[in-house]
Amino acid sequence: MNIVETVRLTKKFGDFVANNAISISVQSQEIRCIVGENGAGKTTLMNMLYGLLKPTSGEIFVKGKKVVFHSPADAISGGLGMVHQHFKLVPSLTIYENVLLGNEIVKSRFLINKKKEIESVRELIEKYKFDLDPLAKIEDLSIGERQRVEILKMLCRNVDILIFDEPTAVLTPQEVDKFIDSLKELRSNGKTIIVITHKLREVMELADHITVIRHGKVIGTVGKAETTETELAQMMVGRKVTLDVANHHKKIGDQKEIYRVNNLSVMNSYGRKVLRDISFSVKKGEIVGIAGVEGNGQSELIDSLTGLMGVKQGQIFLEDQEVTNFWPDQCRRNKIGIIPEDRFSQGLCATMTVADNSIAGYHRNQSIRHWSLLDYRKINALRDNYIEQYDIRVGNRNGEVGQLSGGNAQKLIIARELENKPVLLIACQPTRGVDIGSIEYIHTKIVHYRDSGNGVLLISSELSEIMALSDRILVMYKGKIVGCVNPEETSQEQIGLLMAGIYDEQGG
Amino acid sequence: MTGRKIPLSIINSLMPVILALLIGGIIITMIGQNPFTTYQVLFQQSLFTPQGLAYTLHGAAPLILTGLAIAITFKANIFNMGVEGQFVLGGFVAGIVALYCKSLPGPLAQFICLVAGIIGGMLFALVPALLKKYFRVNEMVVTLMLNYAMATVLEFLTTGIFRDNGSGYVTTPMIPKSVMFPRFGDTHITFFFVIVMLVFIIMYIVMKKSVLGYEMTAIGKNPGFAEATGMRVGNKIVTLMLISGALAGLGGAGYMLSDQYSYTLNFSANPGMGWDGMLVSLLGGHNPLGVLVAAVFYSALKNGSQDINIFTGVPQEIIAVIQSLLVLFLSVKFISENTHVFDRIRSFFRKKSSVKEE
Repeated sequence: MNIVETVRLTKKFGDFVANNAISISVQSQEIRCIVGENGAGKTTLMNMLYGLLKPTSGEIFVKGKKVVFHSPADAISGGLGMVHQHFKLVPSLTIYENVLLGNEIVKSRFLINKKKEIESVRELIEKYKFDLDPLAKIEDLSIGERQRVEILKMLCRNVDILIFDEPTAVLTPQEVDKFIDSLKELRSNGKTIIVITHKLREVMELADHITVIRHGKVIGTVGKAETTETELAQMMVGRKVTLDVANHHKKIGDQKEIYRVNNLSVMNSYGRKVLRDISFSVKKGEIVGIAGVEGNGQSELIDSLTGLMGVKQGQIFLEDQEVTNFWPDQCRRNKIGIIPEDRFSQGLCATMTVADNSIAGYHRNQSIRHWSLLDYRKINALRDNYIEQYDIRVGNRNGEVGQLSGGNAQKLIIARELENKPVLLIACQPTRGVDIGSIEYIHTKIVHYRDSGNGVLLISSELSEIMALSDRILVMYKGKIVGCVNPEETSQEQIGLLMAGIYDEQGG
Repeated sequence: MTGRKIPLSIINSLMPVILALLIGGIIITMIGQNPFTTYQVLFQQSLFTPQGLAYTLHGAAPLILTGLAIAITFKANIFNMGVEGQFVLGGFVAGIVALYCKSLPGPLAQFICLVAGIIGGMLFALVPALLKKYFRVNEMVVTLMLNYAMATVLEFLTTGIFRDNGSGYVTTPMIPKSVMFPRFGDTHITFFFVIVMLVFIIMYIVMKKSVLGYEMTAIGKNPGFAEATGMRVGNKIVTLMLISGALAGLGGAGYMLSDQYSYTLNFSANPGMGWDGMLVSLLGGHNPLGVLVAAVFYSALKNGSQDINIFTGVPQEIIAVIQSLLVLFLSVKFISENTHVFDRIRSFFRKKSSVKEE
């Protein structure tokens, strides 16, 4: 029986067709993965199912009945729940309080029946083998545990269909395994699960059927047994892709050190120590990757290295010059290229033109100025040069940067930073939210840049990216570097343990 | 900046003017007069006669400066509401300094007075700028409140230490004629207008072509981006506030030396040149050229009000009504651009009605 069915579901935003006549049917008690590149329309589709967006045309059937959801509350009462990528939990409350928030079990009219609440949440936890203590506070939980609380929230509202939006983005590899087990447990208890993702490796582990979406259209639905990772990737992109970068890890040996960080410790504005005694170095012709679950100090590390956060303790050297507490403009002038973590809030300004963005950070260079004024003839030539050389697809070159897709916007940043010939590149999440084609391209560019004798510091939460590109991997956990491994002598599992803070003290 | 977008933005800027004139016209009709002849008299006298045009331009000069002072900060999303205070302080300082420059040759004395006014305006703007940079104190509140402090301090100085005892009302001593800007022929226009036009050209280049203008736009649109690309937002805020204060101070000093002769408690009139400058800047979309056009338009409106009284049966207060309407429509535009409140209201009702349909 088809528990969820969409019939020619279409969503238009102005002239842009985000979803074009999508018809899918999900059987009861299966795990269905919806895969596609960023911008393919997965999230739009799910938001329509969940009542967050109204379809332009088409119909949705749940359990054989035609439904029109106006809000998530409608969807939940219709038996359809969604677990978002970013959790919505109250950290200072306990698990059971969070699970039943807004849905409290009451004694009389005004009093909460605490005992019964705890009991009912405990029952749920046991039923699905979630391994949680209902009395634990959210703030003490790991990310994986928090995710299970988020799932419980949906389960206690008696939904039969669970939608997950990029559920593994914030998890360590071990937590991913546990998460997959939980999903299978849910399925065996009669739930239907829809997972949106672009991580093909996980898809192959958990899905029963896989639906591929490209450019807002269903490309096909396949059973797991009948397909392979490569085939899925091909369906997603529409052409043959190589999933692995041709990267020959090099033994660096006695190359010269170009960047060195000594005993860096940093406090955030609340006075909490967010970086503890960090020391590392980058050599000429080396990519050093920094792995770690998001929120373990990577953002603060980037901010302190690029002059957005003040350093009180420790020193940073570029070649033989001390660059501690250099402003971002000083960093760039001293040949440190920066690819910021957040593309549209730090790297680019969406409402400024492509030309204006292609000089950002380097706008004081003499080469684009005439006397002390900006020379737009030179700037436009520079922009055109970047567009051609880095294959940036842009509708209107004179238009704003906001029109560019994630991949093309990122290519513009990379063009800007690399063409100013830095000796060290600090690349943060260089391929986050970028389509597969651009990922390939960006990786090649970074490797090529390394091969011409420069250093790269790569910070990414995408473990596969770190593994593929780095010559040396540092793992961060709770503001410390807890390990240093060689990608050829290690496994995802070993790094995963380090990412989870499980390491032996002598190692590293 | 695409070619197609410009006409739309001009229509958008003109909308408040059109609506204000339209409603003003309805009111004129209701008191039994012909709005077309009234508006014709208004603009004919103030823009299309040599004397009237000269007077309009003379009146526009300080407005152009206060308008630019507002524009340069608003463009960067910093709110210098103290232009009024900077303007009166600049005027006051120039008026006092002028008294000590009697024996100097005219141009030198005028130069010294203008510089004194500029310094006055900059000092006033420096305080909130430093508070903003080092302690993140909201500059809008500080500058706004400082205006009143400034007005009171100047009132104290004018009624006390610097009062002209020979005069029958509260005022500082008259500036000697040799220090005032001489008029061109028998028009009202003075050399101050030439200075203003020079400053306008410089500011146009600064805002449109310079690195500072580029950074200013970036700070206004996305401060996080500006900081991450090394624009040192804190320092830039101080710079922009100082420029803004200097423009306002220059405006006050020039107004003093080209029009006022002495500092009275009514120096900046009501609602004040600084506030009018804000209106002008909003009307001109914080664009230097827009500010120029808006200042001339606004000055023409003020200037033509007497002619309405003389040549038609419409009371000159109609101009105050039109000005107020202008403020009203501009604030609607400002609010909708800055808070998107109307979009929200629209989507709120759309949601409601779609629920009812089912």
